[in-house]
Amino acid sequence: MNPIMSIMNRIGIIIIGLALNLGPEPAAAEVIVVVSATNPVTTLSKNQVVDIFLGKVSRFPGGSQAEPIDQVEGSAAREEFYLKFAGKSPAQLKAHWSKIIFTGRGQPPQETSNDIEVKKFITKVPNAIGYIERKQVDGSVKVLLTQ
Amino acid sequence: MNGFECMPYKLTHIALLATTLFAAGASADDFEAPMFSFSGFGTLSVAHSSEDKADFTSNTIKPNGAGYSHAWSADVDSLIGAQVTANFTRQISAVVQVISEQGYDNSYTPTVEWANIKYAITPDFSVRLGRIVLPVFMTSDYRKVGYANPWVRPPVEFYSLVPVSNNDGVDVMYRFRTGNVTNSIQGLYGKKAIKTVGGGTINATDTVVVSDTLEYGALTFHTTYHQVNIAIGNSSLPIKLLAFGANYDPGHWFVMGEFAMNRSDMSNSNGWYVTGGYRIKNLTPYLTYSRLTALSNPGLGFPPAGQQNVSAGVRWDFYKNFDLKLQYEHINLDAGSSGTLINLQPGFQPGGRVNVFSVAVDFVF
Repeated sequence: MNPIMSIMNRIGIIIIGLALNLGPEPAAAEVIVVVSATNPVTTLSKNQVVDIFLGKVSRFPGGSQAEPIDQVEGSAAREEFYLKFAGKSPAQLKAHWSKIIFTGRGQPPQETSNDIEVKKFITKVPNAIGYIERKQVDGSVKVLLTQ
Repeated sequence: MNGFECMPYKLTHIALLATTLFAAGASADDFEAPMFSFSGFGTLSVAHSSEDKADFTSNTIKPNGAGYSHAWSADVDSLIGAQVTANFTRQISAVVQVISEQGYDNSYTPTVEWANIKYAITPDFSVRLGRIVLPVFMTSDYRKVGYANPWVRPPVEFYSLVPVSNNDGVDVMYRFRTGNVTNSIQGLYGKKAIKTVGGGTINATDTVVVSDTLEYGALTFHTTYHQVNIAIGNSSLPIKLLAFGANYDPGHWFVMGEFAMNRSDMSNSNGWYVTGGYRIKNLTPYLTYSRLTALSNPGLGFPPAGQQNVSAGVRWDFYKNFDLKLQYEHINLDAGSSGTLINLQPGFQPGGRVNVFSVAVDFVF
């Protein structure tokens, strides 16, 4: 066997071995989209939410500036949100932002560490939009209907 | 040193000076995002070509590659890039990106890929001045960022139509939304001094690019018109290019294709490709067909560059911010053609078949 084939075979075996047991399992918690209680927006389509978080749109349908707030990389809420709403894995999301960052066209949304910090941010920034676990919803935020 | 050679340094100086000035004067209270962000990307790779009397390369302005010069060449795709983005105010930002890759002189001397200042009149309407991307194709913005691309490199048959990635000039971007469709219009005016193997310079002037990108959910359409004047002695050669592209990426799979027509008095060529992949957990196997056709060759000694390429590969997102790609390509050179191969050696037979195998690790930070 020539050395190239031998290298390819070895790499092939490693890939098959690792592919079978790597990969994120979907989180169980239900993640929902929230805005400030004072935000006039009540309903957005899944596409509209995704476009705001992926930097394709900067405004709510009503015309006011939208301020998306992300949760930190690796958090269950973040992974669930992007998988459910955008169909994107963490690697796909990273690739998406690499396309935008490396031409100076934009930056990803600001990040906070957890659901409570998202609610705090939304209370401070009236045009913010975030995502949290359903059980964390309280009077400080309004659940957005997403279709 | 002539004026063109000075350009990258001038631009860098302007951007750096502006960074310092604004850093001193800007107030942070109306803008929470960090003022400076540092990021980078890179690819470490080797490529092997079965044709040992010519070199396979990713860009025809490189001096050598895999095949004749090296059985396994790390120069075809390896590179590292670093970028500083500065947000001075909500309206004014600057970006400086430096890339080290095999250059025309076979060195890895870092070159300034972007150095521009952006003024966002609104979040959807902005002007950039300095060294900016030449936004001709769908992946032009990130053609050197392996991690953002499905392949080891953008299909050579298509992307060799415009080997240049940036220009010094000005561009305007305007984005608007109609219903659920986002429309981005971009216009660029610029120039570029292209360094060639052997140390010469080709001056490309009066570059005009007008492009439109339509996005609807997972669907993207891209149309571009590009024209440029290439100085040859005392005369200039106008080159015009029209390109169309489409991409559909709903998540678990993607399909993408581009077509372009390149027209000048010296050569007419068409290029296109179709690529698709399916994501299974961290693995993305993909297939690509790409074609470069030389329609006519009115003279001046340029060989007709036509070839087709069937390639298969797999991307493996094996670790956060890293991927590994294996890619196998089978290239059929058109009759009498050396295609995009360079460094043709005595005994090279045009019109043959070439197999290329590449391994690459891409990363972003």
